[in-house]
Amino acid sequence: MKNIFRNCIYQGKNLFRDFGFSFWSLIYPLIMAIFFYTALSEVLNSELENINVGVDSENPIVYILEEIDFLNIHEITQDEIVKKLDNEEIDGFIDRDLNIKVKESGINQTIIKEVVEQIKQMEKLNRPIENYDFEADYILDRNQKANSLVIIFYSLIAMVSTYGIFAGIETVSLIQANLSNIGERLNITPLRKSKFLLAGVIVALFLNLFANGILIIFIKYALKINLFNEIKYSAILLIMGNLFGVALGVFIGASNKKSSNVKTLIAIAITLALSFLSGMMNPEIKVMIDENAPILSRINPISIITNNLYRINLLESTKSVGEGILILSIYCIVLIFTSYIFLRRKNYDSI
Amino acid sequence: MTVFKHFIKIALRNKGVILSYTIIFLILSILNGSGNVQRESNFIETRLDIGIIDNSNSELSNSLKDYLKEKNNIIDTKLDEEYIKEQIFLGIADAIIIIPEDFDEKVINKENSIQIYNDDRKTESLQIENQINKFLTFINATYENGEYDLKDVKLALDKKTEVELVESDNKENNRGVVDWFKYYYNFTSYVIMAIYIAAIGLVMTDFTDENIGSRMKISSKKFLQFNKEIYLGQLTVAGMITLIFILGSIVLKGKYIGEVNFEKYVINVVVFSFSILCLTFLINNITRNKFIINAMSTVLSLGTSFMSGVMVPQEVLGENVLKIAKFFPTYYFVKINEMTVNSFLDMKYEISMQLLFAIVFLLMGLYFNKVKQKA
Repeated sequence: MKNIFRNCIYQGKNLFRDFGFSFWSLIYPLIMAIFFYTALSEVLNSELENINVGVDSENPIVYILEEIDFLNIHEITQDEIVKKLDNEEIDGFIDRDLNIKVKESGINQTIIKEVVEQIKQMEKLNRPIENYDFEADYILDRNQKANSLVIIFYSLIAMVSTYGIFAGIETVSLIQANLSNIGERLNITPLRKSKFLLAGVIVALFLNLFANGILIIFIKYALKINLFNEIKYSAILLIMGNLFGVALGVFIGASNKKSSNVKTLIAIAITLALSFLSGMMNPEIKVMIDENAPILSRINPISIITNNLYRINLLESTKSVGEGILILSIYCIVLIFTSYIFLRRKNYDSI
Repeated sequence: MTVFKHFIKIALRNKGVILSYTIIFLILSILNGSGNVQRESNFIETRLDIGIIDNSNSELSNSLKDYLKEKNNIIDTKLDEEYIKEQIFLGIADAIIIIPEDFDEKVINKENSIQIYNDDRKTESLQIENQINKFLTFINATYENGEYDLKDVKLALDKKTEVELVESDNKENNRGVVDWFKYYYNFTSYVIMAIYIAAIGLVMTDFTDENIGSRMKISSKKFLQFNKEIYLGQLTVAGMITLIFILGSIVLKGKYIGEVNFEKYVINVVVFSFSILCLTFLINNITRNKFIINAMSTVLSLGTSFMSGVMVPQEVLGENVLKIAKFFPTYYFVKINEMTVNSFLDMKYEISMQLLFAIVFLLMGLYFNKVKQKA
């Protein structure tokens, strides 16, 4: 026990002084969060905007249109129409005969069309005006914010929660004689490699969790995006993500003899590709995968973390958490077990 | 050409890593392209994606459903609040409508008779609520002697109005294909930056060894000749990677090439590749630290892509973000992909900006190399 503790301290110091670790785990996530935030801040704070409608001064329905809350009416002359449409100052133009001119198809144009149609349809229906009760509201509104872009942030957190992968690769190379000098020395001592490895895993886990904490605090207090309303399950998921990351790192480190440079590239490529599939670069990808190959998002570890994070924090649903944690645990066990098989009983005739 | 040959030799030794990196990103580009909706060029009403759960199943509720079906796409849903909320959250559905059992009664009494799950901040929500309120207002307007006149309402609702699409300059008609090419090539900019810096950086690390460096310094090879050969080596590797991506678009959408301005995309991607190659050259001359290079590869590629409109369209980004984005070649690359180009002159400004970046990067790279050599 004392042995493991001492190893933890040494490896912790070693890792903390490593530029690669501090960059990937501490600084890089912060840079990404800032990038995402600057790019998305205006999208995240979107609000319902009124629709701009152009009419000419003699339009017979101007007084009706002016009554409608969500329309902004602009009186314009005939020769301004094309210019204003091009500059997107108006979404559509209604002429005297209630025909509409637009520049593109879209939701705003469709709404203008429906408003004009409603006026024509009321004529056609031919009922006295007092029969229409426009004050009546038949709808019981259950608001649910649609915000698929927030997924990008959850996906980022999910991705960096697996960044123990780099520390995992590092630890394994420390105990392999064919990969590092320390490994050579370690192999001729009576020290147990397994304890050294265990200490490495513990250190990687704690340092990366620490880095995740900093990122979450940064997002919450510096960028002021509220992502975590539920702490318990979120924490469990993040810890599982960390464990998975370290296990995958150990596996990449143990399974081949490539240089650590190549191993780092493999690690970056894997985590980036998995994050991409979970929606980090474009939430539409996630929706597309959910629709066409839902199994992919159920087995992709980063998707598991991303999906569960938004479900428990924004939708207050904990239904799929259990399954997610189970799948992540299976991954960890399989990865650690196979790495163990790769690492055990290695002898070297000459190095 | 010793240096060049050596460079290619190392590149070939690493071909497995470079190729698998390229292929992973190629797959990502293809996925990214297919995730986007197709649009037409004549005016079509926007159809919303809505889900309907009907607990009443009366004549009235069925005619409401028919009306909504005519105007919108109906998607599957189920009576499970968590499921519904997730459909709205992800934007799979614009609205989910729940019709209660005592629907008819509530409509007559003008009560809140329908539950709608949607996002109040979206224009789509306005539209669906308008449609429902209009239908029910019409229904109540015809209510006489305890009966509605569903037939009259239906007749009235069939009355349409004309919408004219004002002439636009865009000559590319098939929007779906145009969008595919746009998204594919926009995404390529991210990939090119990520792969160039990472892959070429990987090859260059072999030149970093201090001993090798010292040996190179005392050799009779001239500074400019050495750099020329290194650059030629990088150009070869980079050219291959860009070629893979151009071929990728030909293999996937080759039969549509006639319908888009393919030369625009190719010229643009070649110029952009050149400019990023110069950036890579600069980075490799500033540092040979593998960690910094890997870091630069990811941060620069993702960062500039996000800010220049590769991931999120430029029109959605804030003005301040775009102001910063103008300091990266990616901004001009995306700009060309987004615009309609009739002749080369239309894009001369954006092309020359990219070339200008290339020259600046190259000169800075040579400067840092010279400084290092003196040290």
